[in-house]
Amino acid sequence: MIALPGKLVIETVGLKKTYQGKLPTPVLFGIDLRVVAGEFVSIIGQSGSGKSTLLNILGALDVPSEGLVKIDGVDISTLTDDGLAVLRSEVVGFVFQAHFLLEELTCLENAVLPIIIRKGSATQEEVEWIHGLLVRVGLGGQLHKSPDTMSGGENQRCAIVRALANRPRIVLADEPTGNLDSHSGEEVFQLMRQMSAEIGIAFVMVTHDERLAHAADRILMIEDGLMRSIE
Amino acid sequence: MTITTFLPRQIRFEGQLAWRHLRSGGGQTWLTIAAVASGVIIVIFIMGLIFGLQRKFTALLTDAIPHVTVQVPEGKPIPYADLPGSRPGPTSSRSEMQAPQRKNIDDWRTVLSIADTIPNVRTVSPAVAGQGFASKGANPVGVSLTGADPAQQELITPVTRNLIAGHYIGLAADEVVIDYELAKDLNVGVGDRIRITSISGIPEPPRIAGIYSKGQGRGSAYVTLRTGQSMLGIGNSVNVVYVKVYDIYGADAVAERLAVLLDCEAKSWSSEFPNFVTSLQAQAASAYLISGFTLIASSFAIASVLIVSVQRKAKQIGILKSIGARKNQILLVFLLEGLGIAVAGSVMGAIAGIAVVYLLSLPKQAVTRVGGVPESLFPLMLDPLYILAAMGAATLATLLAALLPARSAAKMNPVDAMR
Repeated sequence: MIALPGKLVIETVGLKKTYQGKLPTPVLFGIDLRVVAGEFVSIIGQSGSGKSTLLNILGALDVPSEGLVKIDGVDISTLTDDGLAVLRSEVVGFVFQAHFLLEELTCLENAVLPIIIRKGSATQEEVEWIHGLLVRVGLGGQLHKSPDTMSGGENQRCAIVRALANRPRIVLADEPTGNLDSHSGEEVFQLMRQMSAEIGIAFVMVTHDERLAHAADRILMIEDGLMRSIE
Repeated sequence: MTITTFLPRQIRFEGQLAWRHLRSGGGQTWLTIAAVASGVIIVIFIMGLIFGLQRKFTALLTDAIPHVTVQVPEGKPIPYADLPGSRPGPTSSRSEMQAPQRKNIDDWRTVLSIADTIPNVRTVSPAVAGQGFASKGANPVGVSLTGADPAQQELITPVTRNLIAGHYIGLAADEVVIDYELAKDLNVGVGDRIRITSISGIPEPPRIAGIYSKGQGRGSAYVTLRTGQSMLGIGNSVNVVYVKVYDIYGADAVAERLAVLLDCEAKSWSSEFPNFVTSLQAQAASAYLISGFTLIASSFAIASVLIVSVQRKAKQIGILKSIGARKNQILLVFLLEGLGIAVAGSVMGAIAGIAVVYLLSLPKQAVTRVGGVPESLFPLMLDPLYILAAMGAATLATLLAALLPARSAAKMNPVDAMR
């Protein structure tokens, strides 16, 4: 599922989020965002500014308190729980700060997992495609290793391949290099850049690393719950 | 090929993940399986013991007695006012039961042919039964006399297997078989002659052909049908027809059918021993209750282990949801995990339960009566039906126990779960 370049894949209008607790905590005050296919966007901002909250809402992991969120042209407020699950499976890929691979599975099994969740099993062709991606990211020798025997960088590269498994239109990366040393971080970032350019996937990356942020097509900053464009 | 290869393609992923959970669970998985297995072992043991005891007591009682006894009904007293031709107006009358006295069944061959047509009837034996006195010299001793064809009577109240001397099958017209206690009271042995006088007053001097011991009762004597008829002075009639059935719990239906068809009194063994039947039912109910409580207790243990397991896997649930897993898929993973535990626990419990029951059935009791054979100390019984029922009930209880944590896993918010 590769999106056509230029097509709008993320659109939010007046997106607000308030966490309900003993005291309601507003986090996002009205975010308007548009991301097109193949675009690489980085989001920066102070800790607690609402970057991860925004990413969770864009990935249908969380729901907005107010406002419109359209992912690949679909208003996510109209979707059921299963509909949201299908969206997460087919349209969106996630990369987290921690790799979040399943320790019970090998590197190859982890990477193929989204396909299996989507349709029960993976074809030989799909497994070969994933295998090829893992080789390309330098994990050809780690295919049958468990995540706990691989380095942080290797695990994160495997997590990126997993995010690409269902050929999504959007990959949302929440500080994907946050747990890596600068060399591994650079490698992971370049990999994402490369995939974005080659496959035409929109990447939205939250990062604290200003150097990586500036290497994106567009930098957005969240400040006081509002978003502004830096360049 | 793995264990999940046999699952339908649509749930193979869930099965595979459940299998991995079980494998990675290690000691915790084995502990949960052991909880299920313990429940199954206890259920099999309790059922084996209770139903084994029931079978033993029922066999002890019903093997030695007729299952249905057919006789002519006793006359019942009729109040004066109900008599035909009685004058209206205030009356005073006193009703008294007639002294117990068996009426004769003259057309007993018809009774046999009708009884033979009723389903569940195994064998029918015409007989004469009455009271008398046995003596050897002085001091007569009361005796219950049964006159019947030995081969047929053997199928109703087995004598041969309890013989400690002599024979019963092939009994001659001038022979008698008496019980051990009676022989002791009269101080006689096989080959001796005794005098038996029935209540009709006709004395016979039969020779003792055999002595038996059932370990219960005293003062019984068996003679041939012809000799019995002669002793009781009832010509060619009999006064009772004994019936043995295949299914002892169907004896009531046979008795009812016989009573309707023959217009006679037919009593089943269970109506003769109502307290025994009630105690059997109470025992069975206790066995079911204990089994139920055992399974409930093990379900709670399983549920608590699975709840902890779900909490430990919260992050994984969040990850799976973030990559597209639906609620039903998460639910299925944990239900299949529960099913794996249930099946493994049930199978292991059944094997261990059968072994326990088998080993406990080996010790024998000391023989306490003459001619007795050693019996199991624990009269346990293994019935494939209740073993399967125990496995099924344990599997169901485990699945119900797994449902609660599985539902909470399926409902988990992925963001909260990964935090």
